[in-house]
Amino acid sequence: MDRRTFLLAGAALATAACSGPSGLGYWNLFSGGDGSRMMDMVGAIDTRLDAVTLAWGTPYYTKLAMAAAGGRAPDLAILHLSRLPGFAPLGLLDPFDNDLLAAHGLTPDRFPPAVWNRARHDGRTYAVPLDTHPLVLFYNTELCARAGLLENGRLKPIRGPEQLLAAFDKAGLALAAARDVNPWRLFWTLYRQQNGQGLLDDAKALTALRLLAKIGATTRFTDNNAAVALFGSGQAGFFWNGEWELPTFQTQHTPFDVAPFPQVYDRPAVHADSHSFVLPHQRSRDPQRTAETVAAVAELIGQSLTWARGGHIPAYQPVATSQEYLKLAPQADYRSAAAEVELDPPEWFAGAASDLQSAAGATIGAVLGGTTSPDGALDELKATLVRLQNTPRPA
Amino acid sequence: MKRSGFWFVAPFLVLYVAFLVVPMAIGLGASVTDEGITGHAAFVGAANYGELFQDPVVWSSLWHTLIFTVTSTPVIVLVGLVMALLADRAVPERWLYRLAFFAPYLLPVSVVVLIWNWLYQPGFGLINDLLTRLGLGEVGWLSTDGMAMTSIVITTVWWTAGFGFLLYLAALQEIPHQLYEASALDGATPFQQLRRITLPLLSRTHQLVIVLQILASLKVFDQVYLLSGQGGIPGVRSIVQYIYESGFTRFRVGYASAISYVFFALIAVIALVHFRLTAARGSKR
Amino acid sequence: MRVVAAVLAVIWLAPLAWALDTALKPESETTRIPVSWFVSGMSLDAFGRVFADGQVLAWLGNSLLVGVAVTVLTVAVTSLAAYGLSRTRFRGRSLVLALLVAGIMVPPQVLIVPLFAEIVGLGLADTYWALVLPQVVLPAMVYVLKRFFDGVPRELEEAAVIDGAGRLRVYWSLMLPLARPALAAVAIFTFVTTWNNFLWPFVAVSDPHLMTFPVGLTTVQSSYGVRYAQVLAAALLGGLPLVALFLAFQRQLVTAIKG
Repeated sequence: MDRRTFLLAGAALATAACSGPSGLGYWNLFSGGDGSRMMDMVGAIDTRLDAVTLAWGTPYYTKLAMAAAGGRAPDLAILHLSRLPGFAPLGLLDPFDNDLLAAHGLTPDRFPPAVWNRARHDGRTYAVPLDTHPLVLFYNTELCARAGLLENGRLKPIRGPEQLLAAFDKAGLALAAARDVNPWRLFWTLYRQQNGQGLLDDAKALTALRLLAKIGATTRFTDNNAAVALFGSGQAGFFWNGEWELPTFQTQHTPFDVAPFPQVYDRPAVHADSHSFVLPHQRSRDPQRTAETVAAVAELIGQSLTWARGGHIPAYQPVATSQEYLKLAPQADYRSAAAEVELDPPEWFAGAASDLQSAAGATIGAVLGGTTSPDGALDELKATLVRLQNTPRPA
Repeated sequence: MKRSGFWFVAPFLVLYVAFLVVPMAIGLGASVTDEGITGHAAFVGAANYGELFQDPVVWSSLWHTLIFTVTSTPVIVLVGLVMALLADRAVPERWLYRLAFFAPYLLPVSVVVLIWNWLYQPGFGLINDLLTRLGLGEVGWLSTDGMAMTSIVITTVWWTAGFGFLLYLAALQEIPHQLYEASALDGATPFQQLRRITLPLLSRTHQLVIVLQILASLKVFDQVYLLSGQGGIPGVRSIVQYIYESGFTRFRVGYASAISYVFFALIAVIALVHFRLTAARGSKR
Repeated sequence: MRVVAAVLAVIWLAPLAWALDTALKPESETTRIPVSWFVSGMSLDAFGRVFADGQVLAWLGNSLLVGVAVTVLTVAVTSLAAYGLSRTRFRGRSLVLALLVAGIMVPPQVLIVPLFAEIVGLGLADTYWALVLPQVVLPAMVYVLKRFFDGVPRELEEAAVIDGAGRLRVYWSLMLPLARPALAAVAIFTFVTTWNNFLWPFVAVSDPHLMTFPVGLTTVQSSYGVRYAQVLAAALLGGLPLVALFLAFQRQLVTAIKG
């Protein structure tokens, strides 16, 4: 390569580097099926979005916070609603203008109250929920039929710990327990079903942990990939995880159906979270761009049906109650879960991919794996919570 | 004339003060506050320092960093030396060795991690496939804490052995040929030559490579962070990684600054001890 | 010995060969078990898709821009400073020398958190400035060049000064040309270090359009699921320029890294 070509190549690269975004900047953490459905939605709306996908979980939230702290954040981003208590009070998000939201039909009465309340901080609205995504119970229709657990082709209602254990024992359970946040979600579900308050009611936590120890004894200790493979290939009758795994089993043609998370204790409750739209903090916010951003949010929410095909329950009620959604099977079968959702406790250290989920997940995972006793795990869990609660909250 | 000298230094000094001295000062200031990622701060005295000495994660991260350093350094030095001895011979394919041994060192860490992540995959990963073919069981390279550390060390050896290789190669080429010729006349075998001539004459290079390697290993972040994936692997977290996480994942700039300072003090002590040791040895000669 | 060397070279090249092999496979073949080196339908498609997507090229462009900017600035300011320290006496000179030695001791890793806070305070977060300026501070380079200038005989310079040349003139038209090998070493070392640097660029920018290659490659994901052939093609595409440069400038590089 002579010097001239080299310089030309350099110039070409530099131009490529400097050509910045043209549409509104939009960050999300969706890959796989969710990712391509989101790209479909972005392609279907009028507003031009310059969508970027960052690695799910901690890396995403770290980058989002750093971008917001730096003042040049993207116009729009996805946030798990459970992370709002860690973001909004620090000034990492800008609030929505309620009038602007209302102008696009995004009013509180059109969202489930349990979710909308968590979108607010200090009397202002910081998030517009796109969905709720609860844990559900996947079951293999062939295996469960053979085990006599079906009635008219559907899973017979499971009530109470004994029935749950018996069902898992008969048809087999696949469960993500190793190195995962899933154990925390299971625990929180069982804890809230007993109406356990705060962090943490010892007796109720212990009840939940003891049941998890028994559940763990009915299943192999695996990570999520292995659990998905076990259920997908028909080696387990049940799979207990989020509805977002639905498309995986549909493409694998697993004979399966989905039921809401069974009510084991006093009240129906299920761990869930909500993907929501937020405005990351910008140092100099342009009202014109903000108005366009809100319009884009409304347009994307209008595409909720596309989103629902991936298993998520639309948060926007006009879609959630529409005929098209109600005809969507099996998605519409567990839509009742939306009324029973329990997000993580509203603490700054909690939420999706948070310290709480991973630290507690490791302890509770060990209970499922049979390497820690429920009593030992309770002590560990309380120590974790004391540590997190004593950690000075950043200013 | 007296003033003009300063103006030569001024441009560098401005950048040096702005991006080294000032951040050092900012860090010291932040370490006694509860500063968060958005900059608001209140004075908390020595609370951060008190907290960090009680923080089990600080100690475990230091421990992992130490484990990484003491396991990777000897291997990297030894492999680099062996490579240099092999490639220093006058054979036609010498250029190939140089390329093979040194190329990985020129790759950005992200490329290295992507390639090794791919090699470590269960099932379709090249290494596990090889193990299966040999009738051995698959290994979960990144799924347990102990294996993850081993995998990180293996990757690091592959990536950075080329650095020691190059330093050794340069040192080998400065050893006069006459020494070997003379000893060959005395009937020394190649192995004896290696022991009596080559290795002793490389002693300064050993020292250099080992010290540089130790200092680099103590500051490890990139490959540990990237190979650990989304949730991280608590059993391999390095101290620099904990600084990063405290500051940017938990938004505690003040606390992260305090850990940075303690870590800096530790590095400075190690460097000073090394300096004293070499100075003492030098004066004996 | 030759066999040992060959085996070691093969082991060392195998990961790269396997990455290249995967990048040439059709996407559907990449995760097939048992593993096979040769499958039908091997092609350069994955590389083509990387080019068509443009994102990787933009990151490489950023890396080039930042690498060149840092290198040019570093060579300029460190050689000026080294010359000043080597050939002139001014008040505070010993303080500057002490600062330099102290600066060599500071690992950049301990600065990331306060440096980020500073960059945010200056309003430079998510700009090219944030990528370039903090990476220019390499006190060790001043030290290396100062020792080089110290070795240049003073007589050469005095002759020029008698001819009426000012200090800057002497620096520019006498010392710099003399120092070409040392400057080349500093330049190559700086460029390689900057091109491969991960931690600071990872902290300094969050905007994917400004990311350098090593940062973008690991931070940004494809929304269409994992495509192994394409990811490895991108990795190789970004990793190879320096290896090619090594082949071209082997000798200078060896000097640079020794320095």
